[in-house]
Amino acid sequence: MTARSQAAALAAPAVAILGGVAVAPVLAAAWLSLHRSILVFHEQRFAGLDNYRFLVADGRFWSALGTTAYFTAVAVAAELVLGLPVAVLLQRGGGLLRAAVLLPWAVPTAVSARMWAWLFNADYGLLHRILPAVDWLGSPRIALHAAILVDVWKTTPFVALLLLAGLQAIPEEVLQAARVDGARPARVFFSIALPLLRPAILLALLFRSLDAFRVFDAIYVLTEGGPANATETLSIYAYKTLMRSGDFGYGSALSVATFACVVALGLVWLRVLGRRP
Amino acid sequence: MRRALAACAVLAFFLGPLAWQALTSLWPEPELTRPLPHSLTFASYAGLGGTFARAVLNSLIVAAGTTALCLAAGASAAFAIAKLDLPGKRVLLGGALAISMFPPIATVSPLYLALRAAGLRDTLAGLVLPYATFALPLTLWLLTSFFRGLPDELYRAARVDGCTPWQAFVHVFLPLSWPALATSAILVFIFSWNELLYALTFISTPSRRTIPVAIALFAGEHVEPWGQIAAASMVATLPLAALTLLFQRRIVSGLTAGAVKE
Amino acid sequence: MLVRVRAACSLLLVAASSCSRSGGEAPAPGAVPLVLKHQPLWGDPAPFHAFLDRFRRENPDVLLRTETLPNASDAAREMFVTALEGGADDFDVFAIDVVWAPEFARAGWLADLSDAFPPARLADEFLPGSAEAVTLDGRVYAVPWFLDVGLLYYRTDLVPRAPRTYAELRQLAREAMARDPRLSGFLWQGRQYEGLNCNVFEAVWGHGGEVLRDGRIALDTPEAREGLRWLREAISTGLSPRSVISSGEEETRRAFQDGRAVFLRNWPYVWAEVQAEGSPVRGKVGFAPLPSASGAPGPGALGGWQLAVSARLPAARRRAAERLVAFLTSHEAAVELALRYSRIPARRAVYDDPRVRREAAFIAALLPVARAARPRPVSPYYALASDAIQGELSAAVVGLRAPAEALARAQRIADHLEER
Repeated sequence: MTARSQAAALAAPAVAILGGVAVAPVLAAAWLSLHRSILVFHEQRFAGLDNYRFLVADGRFWSALGTTAYFTAVAVAAELVLGLPVAVLLQRGGGLLRAAVLLPWAVPTAVSARMWAWLFNADYGLLHRILPAVDWLGSPRIALHAAILVDVWKTTPFVALLLLAGLQAIPEEVLQAARVDGARPARVFFSIALPLLRPAILLALLFRSLDAFRVFDAIYVLTEGGPANATETLSIYAYKTLMRSGDFGYGSALSVATFACVVALGLVWLRVLGRRP
Repeated sequence: MRRALAACAVLAFFLGPLAWQALTSLWPEPELTRPLPHSLTFASYAGLGGTFARAVLNSLIVAAGTTALCLAAGASAAFAIAKLDLPGKRVLLGGALAISMFPPIATVSPLYLALRAAGLRDTLAGLVLPYATFALPLTLWLLTSFFRGLPDELYRAARVDGCTPWQAFVHVFLPLSWPALATSAILVFIFSWNELLYALTFISTPSRRTIPVAIALFAGEHVEPWGQIAAASMVATLPLAALTLLFQRRIVSGLTAGAVKE
Repeated sequence: MLVRVRAACSLLLVAASSCSRSGGEAPAPGAVPLVLKHQPLWGDPAPFHAFLDRFRRENPDVLLRTETLPNASDAAREMFVTALEGGADDFDVFAIDVVWAPEFARAGWLADLSDAFPPARLADEFLPGSAEAVTLDGRVYAVPWFLDVGLLYYRTDLVPRAPRTYAELRQLAREAMARDPRLSGFLWQGRQYEGLNCNVFEAVWGHGGEVLRDGRIALDTPEAREGLRWLREAISTGLSPRSVISSGEEETRRAFQDGRAVFLRNWPYVWAEVQAEGSPVRGKVGFAPLPSASGAPGPGALGGWQLAVSARLPAARRRAAERLVAFLTSHEAAVELALRYSRIPARRAVYDDPRVRREAAFIAALLPVARAARPRPVSPYYALASDAIQGELSAAVVGLRAPAEALARAQRIADHLEER
């Protein structure tokens, strides 16, 4: 066996898994989306672009897209704004502080969603007792922000870590020089450190926005997409169509649409990152 | 001083809800309607029963299987990328990165049908492959950058000694990579323990549920048993809390290294 | 020979299974194994097990094993679908929710029971709503076991009588609320879940409409718009508190039981709760059929469970299964369930049975309400579409969308699924 083929053999399992369980299913989902398929009734026939025609006229799809976009924008912005001070704090903090801050990230999303659901509970929740006028999970407008809060709580640590890595990459000499020159700490931070952090910030934005766009766990456990589908994101709509309505054709079309959106978002970010000076 | 205040605020925000949930798990069920408990009890934990214990076991099995598969496939592929002449390295690494960005919902319907055809739907084994797929990219990136950090001379020396690439991998490089393997294992374990969508879709028998599904679908007869849900949450969180506390440095370096090396 | 081997294996199964009940005498050789799956009947399980033992004694050639299923919920339906679709072989006789029969029948999982239980006889002996719910294309696919029905509870100390029309309900509630401003007028379930569909369909029927036309789900009708508008206006005019849009059965029951409301729409189980020791409204509650626009008793949504037989059973087990179903849905069984577990009977004659009249007066008095029970759309696609319909109805109830638009969207989803 040549060296090349031995190398290929070593890499083969990984390639097989990635290709077979990730790439192939996406293509299969696209194929499935061209059919009318009600699984339990064994109804299966080729339907061309019917599902996509239905999708374009589907108000619920566009609502879900809007909800997902809003969720992504607000959650990621909040995580960035909160993550930066936390990163600065972690820079001088000890391991214990880092572990404590890391804990929300390590907790299963289902667990944290249930935890927040109890805090938000309309009868006995702690937050309800503190602010009784707010109907956290019952009011459509507020419920989406409750879900955003859960996501922010869970993922700010991850963002803070990415920014921390960026902060640690800034050479100490640069900051020292600025301080020696008499600049106040705030100015040092905003004029010197922040621009140097740009790559880390953009990276955090890339990862987090792609992650937030595919959100499922937190919202499913917190509200299941309600009330009045106001917290329904694309993943939740696709899931319900597949598993509750048993409509594998249209559900696959929704999944493909979600995939396309994520790809588009990723390409946009790559262009932004590529324009780095 | 200001830093200490800031640290307290941060800790309160991130740990407060967890502390409240811990308190709720010790709160007597009939007193949940009151603002504060008058006494504390372990009754909620005792009431969890066999089904939740089975969920813990199921999660352990799936997490162990996923970790083993990821490490095996990832380490060998990472070695091939880092030290060998592998055609299409950049495509593989780039592709892996792209795959880690896939929305899982995009693969749910065909995977459901495929698992059903293979008789693996509603089994724990059927979960391991999809899990491994999403954990593999990070493992690949982590181990590749680690192997790249090891000197090439090691490989050349091993080859001179007459080792095949496979033997060099197993006998020379693997023993040196325990730190990176451990970091990968921890991250894969955490990911697998926390996963919800695939577990929810592919598993329907209650006795085969994993922890996140059990907690998501936790239901009492009429009223939600918040005390028991809190107790279950604590049980689900404790292993991860332990992992995080013990291996905080590894986790941090693993996450940032994997991410920054894009 | 093969039959003996199978019997031996079944014996081992029974011995090994932790869910089985030791029952009766040793079965005769060549016994037919049968598994009964049902939801737990709240209360002491002993009377029910004794009842099953009677079946075992009367049918020594059947080896009966029972298994309790998890609680009814959306997750339970998915579990059924997975098991039945995957060809699980321990589903012989099982209890299904009243809305699943058409779907499971179309999927081919339920045996056609029309020979053992002719549709005409079913229509004769069972209440009309129950019989309708188990019949698809003129064939019978399940037998009603017991039912649930939506009804109106009212405070006898706050209003002089039960309202017959919506206008009357509004008026009586407002008068009571004027006397005590802390009261809520009319509580019902408006959260986004199946309970909301029940409430909305009741409002549709109450306005003279139908939800099924030519075997297809019909939501975009004038009466449906009237009904949905009535519910929306109940909230917007303050007749119902805003908390209704996030309430289910338990939240509204608790509020009513704490004395904070004049009218409550809920299921029969609430009666025992409000009449229990320590209930603040004990002795001050009455019940009646729901109101309607015309004044005739408004139909309540049909709930409850039915017994079905797996379509995959071979002939001998199939006949044994039919015997079991006949036993469990007999007049005697219905009386047992009513007396010991407060299960509302689906058989018409049970309401007149002297034992029920004597010891379960509430159930006997429920006859007018039970007679008016109507099933949700008896279409194989309803169970599939119900989740999507809930979302649209919820949007209307919350005020995010006009009732007409919400119903049009719901109809579009139903059409998309039903299109063959």
